[in-house]
Amino acid sequence: MASGVFGFRPPGRLERATAARLRIFTMLVVAVLLSSVVWTRLAYWQVLRHAQLAQQAAAQYREVVELPAIRGAIFDRHMTQLVINTTVYSAFVSPDQVPVGQRQQVASALSSVLGVDQATTMQTLASGRKFAYIQRRFSKDKADHLRSLKLAGVGLEEEQQRSYLPGLSPGSTLAANLLGFVTYDGKGQYGLEAHYQTQLAGTPGYISSYRDLANREIVLGSHTHRDPIAGSDLVTSLDANVQYAAEQALADGVKKARAESGSVLIMDPKTGGIVAWADYPTYSANNFNRTPTALFKDNVLSYVYEPGSVMKVVTLSGAIDAAKIKPNTIIDDPGAVYIGGYRISDWDGANHGKVSYTYVLEHSLNVGAIKAMQAEGHKSFYRYLQSFGLTQPSGIDVAGENFIAPPPGDKMADSQYATTAFGQGIDVNMVQMLAAVNVVANGGKYAPPHVVERIGNRINPIMLQPQRQVISPKTAQQMTAMMQAVVQYGSGWTSRVPGFELNQGGKTGTSQIPVKGKYTQNVWASYVGFLPANKPRFTMIVVIRKPNVPGADQDWTLNDGYFTASPVWKRIAQAMVVSWHITPAHS
Amino acid sequence: MISTRILTRRRLGTAAAQHVPARRRRRTRGFVQVASSAAADRLHLNAFGHAYLGLGAVVICVLFYLALAAQITQSSYEIARLQDQQRQLFAEQDQLRYQEATQHAPAQVQHSAAQSGMERTTPHKYLTSQAVAINLQAPIGAAPTDSTPLWQRMVAAVVERVVGARNVMAATR
Repeated sequence: MASGVFGFRPPGRLERATAARLRIFTMLVVAVLLSSVVWTRLAYWQVLRHAQLAQQAAAQYREVVELPAIRGAIFDRHMTQLVINTTVYSAFVSPDQVPVGQRQQVASALSSVLGVDQATTMQTLASGRKFAYIQRRFSKDKADHLRSLKLAGVGLEEEQQRSYLPGLSPGSTLAANLLGFVTYDGKGQYGLEAHYQTQLAGTPGYISSYRDLANREIVLGSHTHRDPIAGSDLVTSLDANVQYAAEQALADGVKKARAESGSVLIMDPKTGGIVAWADYPTYSANNFNRTPTALFKDNVLSYVYEPGSVMKVVTLSGAIDAAKIKPNTIIDDPGAVYIGGYRISDWDGANHGKVSYTYVLEHSLNVGAIKAMQAEGHKSFYRYLQSFGLTQPSGIDVAGENFIAPPPGDKMADSQYATTAFGQGIDVNMVQMLAAVNVVANGGKYAPPHVVERIGNRINPIMLQPQRQVISPKTAQQMTAMMQAVVQYGSGWTSRVPGFELNQGGKTGTSQIPVKGKYTQNVWASYVGFLPANKPRFTMIVVIRKPNVPGADQDWTLNDGYFTASPVWKRIAQAMVVSWHITPAHS
Repeated sequence: MISTRILTRRRLGTAAAQHVPARRRRRTRGFVQVASSAAADRLHLNAFGHAYLGLGAVVICVLFYLALAAQITQSSYEIARLQDQQRQLFAEQDQLRYQEATQHAPAQVQHSAAQSGMERTTPHKYLTSQAVAINLQAPIGAAPTDSTPLWQRMVAAVVERVVGARNVMAATR
């Protein structure tokens, strides 16, 4: 076999062919590897990142402009618009587009039109930023003035705003706690604005078009257009005039009693529609962004309290309806009773001797109410609590109802049954309590409380529901007579409306406020009543929280419902008599 | 060669009628060919001529498209201007509506009335009330029966003395 000088043997033909194959194979492998890298990268961009990239590309050439829907308006029963959509303007500036020589002129003009600080505006203009707001949400007059000046680098931005009617004072708007407000991004907060957000807001539309490289719209490109659907208008059962009178009387009453707060709720007895819903202190929904959040709370619906003697109306109604007592049934009231280890006394602790149940209601005797409950029995008493709507939320169409359920009937102690009979140891909100007493004014039927009567062109379904009969019409009539006696001979004398003294019914209530399980000397003072008694046009409840009438530290009865809440009731009732043309002859 | 069948057709006069469509088809095709060749002859168009003609047609179409686009763009500007004007008018309408509602708002009415020196009168005459029909002189009966067990009462009494807070809700009225 031939070999080289150095022992190197040149490759043979077969070996050369094998080496060539090996090189080709290596090249193929490298090519496959390289191509697979490319393919993998392609797959990464085209498959895995497809959605994201497509979205980014669409964002560059496609423009979707939202067409906001017009928010529905809110009207009172006389079609007075309580809430109106208005257009407001915000001024912005692009400081980098304002020539140095014009800064002084621009700042001066902005200061004179919008009232902003000139020095601050100058600082903004000198900042070299791309964008800065000068002032937000001002009126069209100012915007027109500013537009006419044609200032370099200054622009206007249109925005929608809800405007509410002025209220009692410059710092309040009418029915603020009931209506709520709408944030700048269109979301309803509190009250009707929150509860009816979906119906009021409507459905926004949009325009989808294409843009060129210079961000101009391609006019001949394909457009997709969907018109917005305007929100539904709400027609409420409110009466703006009565609402205003209620707010006025309540504010005066709370100030006079040096109380922490107060609320008024007025209802149409036949339908359950709310006529007025007032809180004091209140706020301006037009300036919600500068209002402490504590004021947004609506005490009518979100505040639970122990109703006190107003509850006796429910207790006695149930016992009469169950045929266990009669208005003229005579009982013995020694001034105090022992139940479940507790000594429960009348408000004055005095022995009242033989008295009728009418007298019990007139003079608000706790012992009498307990005896009525005992005559009726626990089961029946609890069943009437349920029927009067005091064991479940009222379900009214306003956001933020607060409710504390009483324990089940078989879990309630004897002492709790006793205290519940005269309105302590049970928590209710004002809507629940008024709807319960309204049963008497409505011939024994429970009218579901509601504020909105029409949503767009549809009637609120709650108005079409049959009203449940809680007590018989005869019982309601008897109870009405007893409540009339409260006004004529009892604690309700301060509520007498001139001309209706013999034809109005009512009941006072005063209950101690518990703090950490113990009752304090602070009270909730309330008064509930209706007028005219034989054909009620309205039912009203007034609650004054923590009154502190001068001299009350010596004589706590000065904070009583008859002294603090009842005069407010009377003043509002007088306004309603005039406004609604209620006459004694009419009754 | 003429067959007897052909002779029969000629005699019956049906053969000519059957041949008419065939002649027409030939004549139509011939007209197009003749017309196009005649036009080409007259215009003396060669291949480049055809190309220029096509290009001219395309240019006319492009110009027409551009004119249309300009018109549409102009219209869109006009629409944008009118929409802006409409927004302004709506804003003004909103403001007027708010002013109107505010003028009729109870607070404003009362304020205006007070400025004019008007005041709501409130009657102060009370009707006479009737005496309560209860005999308050009736003798007081026996003390009320208390169903609470004695031991509970004792416990309550002791707790009342020690804690002093067992009297509940005495203020309720």
